[in-house]
Amino acid sequence: MEAVNVLTHPQIPGEPTQTSTTLLEKATATIQGFGPVNKIHQHLCAFHFYGHDMTRQVEAHHFCGHQNEEFRQCLIYDRPDDDGRLIGIEYLVSEELFLTLPDEEKRFWHSHEFEVKSGVLFMPGVPGPIQRQDLEKVAKTYGKVFHFWQVDRGDSLPLGIPQVMMALTRDGQLYENLAQDVENRYNISFAKERENRAYMTGPAHGIHPMANGGGKGLQTVLREVECKPAGVDHSAARVFV
Amino acid sequence: MASSDENPGAMPPGDGSVPPGKPMTVGQHIIDKGAQMMQSLKPMKKMSQHVCTFAIYSHDMTRQIHTHHYVTRLNQDFLQCAVYDSDDSSARLIGVEYIISGGIFESLSPEEQKLWHSHAHEIKSGLWVNPRVPEMVVRPELENLAKTYGKFWCTWQTDRGDKLPMGPPALMMSPQELDLGIVKLDLVKKRDDKYNISTEALKTARAELAVPEAERINPQADYWKQHGKGFAIEVESTEMKKITAFP
Repeated sequence: MEAVNVLTHPQIPGEPTQTSTTLLEKATATIQGFGPVNKIHQHLCAFHFYGHDMTRQVEAHHFCGHQNEEFRQCLIYDRPDDDGRLIGIEYLVSEELFLTLPDEEKRFWHSHEFEVKSGVLFMPGVPGPIQRQDLEKVAKTYGKVFHFWQVDRGDSLPLGIPQVMMALTRDGQLYENLAQDVENRYNISFAKERENRAYMTGPAHGIHPMANGGGKGLQTVLREVECKPAGVDHSAARVFV
Repeated sequence: MASSDENPGAMPPGDGSVPPGKPMTVGQHIIDKGAQMMQSLKPMKKMSQHVCTFAIYSHDMTRQIHTHHYVTRLNQDFLQCAVYDSDDSSARLIGVEYIISGGIFESLSPEEQKLWHSHAHEIKSGLWVNPRVPEMVVRPELENLAKTYGKFWCTWQTDRGDKLPMGPPALMMSPQELDLGIVKLDLVKKRDDKYNISTEALKTARAELAVPEAERINPQADYWKQHGKGFAIEVESTEMKKITAFP
């Protein structure tokens, strides 16, 4: 079975950027501070699939920064280019932090052991021995991913509600054509890298049974709700405008 | 489990830092620096604006937050923002906002439009600012941005004390001129003091900005105004459609 190749996706609607806008943004880019973004030091490429549907798979380019040794936060793009679309967010935590989460919350998080050991998760442009120093740590972590833009179904805009995403946990899940596409583009071999990573180990306590959706699919649903808690008095709001 | 849950469950223990965790080792710093030198990180370089503003949880409009958006423009009508809870290097990544022109907004289905908010009031009232940029430099763009609509998902509710990102994303709304949309004075003052600006003064300066009047804003946006309702995301366990075993 073949998956959709999202690299032939539709254009985002809209006019080309006007010169005046570009000039202004060159100015703002120069004058302003980008502290939080400057912390992003790493590009990781991997695949996600929808938490309720393994047949829909997406190549995911993660741009990650460390908050500390045990926590990373990543912006996910559909491609690592100037015009890459920001499609989601991933958080990575150490096994220690993961174990402090309530069981209900653990379901959202997926294990990274297989992705890393199979060679499929990699750092474009970074030589193997250097990558492995970091990836051997990643193999023990858990990740939580939401996608907001369903590029694999051809959406030219981020429509609908956030989707819980999951990651590869065993052979036979990833579509061959998606894998080969990445291998060709980056001139790498997942199989070769798998051999190099055979020494790596996953979480010390094994993969937690509540992780990876607790073994079930996870689907988000939109609910219309009250916009304020009941019984709260707003008549005394301090007027600003 | 829903984005509107009052209590996300027991909080991870620790020294109180958000998120908890050991400090980065020297070894990790070196790996990071090495990677950074070898990788081009192009999408980061395309971030061209820092916007500081405010947002409100759609399922509980008593909760208002101060946000920092790092904005990338993909074309004249579309921007995508990484949203953080502060502007320093230890800031937490709390969500993503997409911004579209009025024209694109009109092309969306009414069901989709309900998830979006307008920016006219936020900009005209001086709440939305580009720190460090002189007002006159940014003025021409403010008129364009005032006609846009935004869709903002918050993935980490740090304002209620979550030490780690818990639960599903929450839908956010924008400040508006009445009722639940009015940003609390002390929140604005705190921001103003930090950046040594006056939102009041900006509001006066922007009085002549041509922004859509309330009647010209699509009534499906800012859904709570006409309908008194917000939105929450719930997550349900279901059978996963599979190719092979999982996990």
